[in-house]
Amino acid sequence: MNAPVGHYQYDQIDRNFLQSRIEEFESQVQRRIDGTLTEDEFKPLRLMNGLYLQLHAYMLRIAIPYGILDSRQMRKLSDIAHRYDRDYGHFTTRQNIQFNWIRLEDTPAILRELADVDMHAIQTSGNCIRNVTSDEFAGAAADELVDPRVHAEILRQWSTLHPEFTFLPRKFKIAISGSPNDRVAARFHDIGILARPGVDGTVFRIFVGGGMGRTPIIGQEIFDAVPEDRLLATLEAIVRVYNAHGRRDNIYKARIKILVQAIGIEAYREAVEAELALMNPDHYRLTPETVAAIRARFAVPELVAPDNASEVLAQQRIADREFDLWVRSNTHEHRASGHIIAVVSMKPAGGIPGDATSVQMKRLADLADVHSFGELRITHLQNVVLGHVRQDRLHDLWLSLREVGLASANVGLIGDIVACPGLDYCALANSRSIPIAQKLGARFGNADLQAEIGALSINISGCINACGHHHAGNIGLLGVDKRGEEFFQITLGGRADQGAAIGSILGPALPEDDTVDAIARIVDCYLGKRTAGETFLDTLSRLGDVPFKDAAYEAV
Amino acid sequence: MKLFDLGARASNFHEQLVPLDELQNFPDARAVLLEAEHDPERLKPFLAHLELVVLRFPIFRDGRPFTQARALREYLGFNGEIRAEGHILPDQAAFLKRCGVDSVVLSEGSDPALWEKQLHRFHEAYQRAVLPEAPLGVGLRVKPN
Amino acid sequence: MKRPTRLSAGEKLVLTANRLLDGQIVWRDAFGQWLPQIRHAETYDAESAELALENAKHNAQRDGVVGVYEVAVQDGSAIEPVSVRERIRAHGPTVHPQFATEA
Ligand code: SF4
Repeated sequence: MNAPVGHYQYDQIDRNFLQSRIEEFESQVQRRIDGTLTEDEFKPLRLMNGLYLQLHAYMLRIAIPYGILDSRQMRKLSDIAHRYDRDYGHFTTRQNIQFNWIRLEDTPAILRELADVDMHAIQTSGNCIRNVTSDEFAGAAADELVDPRVHAEILRQWSTLHPEFTFLPRKFKIAISGSPNDRVAARFHDIGILARPGVDGTVFRIFVGGGMGRTPIIGQEIFDAVPEDRLLATLEAIVRVYNAHGRRDNIYKARIKILVQAIGIEAYREAVEAELALMNPDHYRLTPETVAAIRARFAVPELVAPDNASEVLAQQRIADREFDLWVRSNTHEHRASGHIIAVVSMKPAGGIPGDATSVQMKRLADLADVHSFGELRITHLQNVVLGHVRQDRLHDLWLSLREVGLASANVGLIGDIVACPGLDYCALANSRSIPIAQKLGARFGNADLQAEIGALSINISGCINACGHHHAGNIGLLGVDKRGEEFFQITLGGRADQGAAIGSILGPALPEDDTVDAIARIVDCYLGKRTAGETFLDTLSRLGDVPFKDAAYEAV
Repeated sequence: MKLFDLGARASNFHEQLVPLDELQNFPDARAVLLEAEHDPERLKPFLAHLELVVLRFPIFRDGRPFTQARALREYLGFNGEIRAEGHILPDQAAFLKRCGVDSVVLSEGSDPALWEKQLHRFHEAYQRAVLPEAPLGVGLRVKPN
Repeated sequence: MKRPTRLSAGEKLVLTANRLLDGQIVWRDAFGQWLPQIRHAETYDAESAELALENAKHNAQRDGVVGVYEVAVQDGSAIEPVSVRERIRAHGPTVHPQFATEA
């Protein structure tokens, strides 16, 4: 098989490292079973290997660095779902996959299987630097300035078992993008990085202190243009200040955003600059040779398409209306002529957002081999991307997707709901998030209706931890507990892109079915009041909350 | 007190361990105890005399002593012994060492063999640390000593 | 640990945990055994639960369970947890009926 495109290719050193890590975990499990390690001691260690104890069983979260995997890895995930879980997996908003029914005693064996295809679960949880996320269209999108994957890989390596930063006050999430259209929610991360070309090579704009959770905060710019050779030094300094000064007395106040808020961005910047002044720049320099060496481990797809590829696609769109509808919502412009980026929606109407059966995973791997150099990407909206599809073969791809029920034409539309696992699986939840997602998905399932409504995101979290990113949803739903009953608080106006905003609460929380009805009335209100070309957010910002509030609560 | 050496520097026993806040009253002190919340910068006036800095982990999850150790080595150029005590796990051995810690105080019932095992578990690391470490293959990787 | 074990009329407490090795949800029966079905669970009133809880926590390592705590239940003909969360734990995720806990 050819080297996989899209992600870093392991060598023997990387593989040896994974083996040592697995042996270490196996010994930790043994110490837990014989009682040498208490549960309190074992918990952070297992979390840093992706293993949670959830509501019904252990849950294993497997890293998909910057969301990119190859078909052989996807087949392995399918196999693990089949043999060790209940035949399905769940793609997460951090571009990872998790399995919900794992046994502790099986975990070392699963990690060995993963290592066979250069995968692991390292730092997918715990108070450390988590799996780095990136643009799902990286290296393919026409609107991209810099391909962020090489630097995402550098960050992955740098943060792996970092000796100083493995016991931070709280989890730490980094996202990196190279496009002016922010598809990584950079301003909602502990550190968000936007790469762009500078006069002398790539420079990085860095935001700190963004985040969702109990206290949603939009990240602030700490540096506008960090040169490449100073990237690691700068990150090292930012995290060092946080490790030394972040709060450790209250887990709700332990994220870097609270520290940045407490001392202010100027003081934080000064503290980082003071660190940098003391650090030996040579020691931390990210040299062009290092970058080149890591870049060399990324295979590049050879993009050749027949001259008439675009015409063929145009013809097929005219001939097949249903296909045309799908192309409108589920594709993105590619940088290479004759190619296109296809997004496979994992949100069938009435289904569970982000779930994939082992059969679907296998099928996706096959389709990636046929259509996209064996490469797949998981998006932070829980969908799957085939990054380099020939335009004249897009219709074939669509037909194949339809056969396995993966051709929903709803990406970026109201049916493309993001929901956390909620009370059905999560030990921290207040309410279930999947059933209401299913109801909303079914309510707005019709493809024509969705196309008419246009761009509109719904995000659902089962508790204030906000894993479903409800603060950033155009419509956000937060599960709250009212005397043992599940209620939902509605927020409007959130967005995660370059215009990042936190949604504002519309009114009192409602029970599940009333919430679904209220959202239907909010959407009707928008359809009635919009002027030509307005999106939901446009109308909302023109009219304000009031008409939507009146509509939402009119019947309650 | 049982000590475990992480690196080449052999640990030395000190009769008297002075808490940071009292250091100015003991100008001859050779050994100081730093709590996790202390800024190592405060040791600056005393560094010339000090032979041992002990960093105390209130709990193994509190990672501040890692940053303290690095600050001592990198920013303050401290060349004496750095020791970790308190609630620490063998699983942290290599992290401690790579941040510049020389020795640990083993808690009651702690197994030195386990520390030894964990100390030499990994033969590859993905970032530079305090210790001089040879590059390993291409890219960022180094070979921990 | 002080938890609000104020029970309404008709409510009792049972003890639950997860099995260490496979994570399976278990409930404690009258003989101190941990079993997957809630119907085997021993019910306690607020006072007797305290002692049982202490005991169960003490033996958690030996018994191979983790995260022992008490759950309020309706003590009718069948034991049924009061909260949605615990009903989901007892019976399985509502969105995957095929994974329901065997009664
Ligand atoms: S938002 Fe809350 S309920 Fe949802 S997955 Fe996160 S912690 Fe669990």
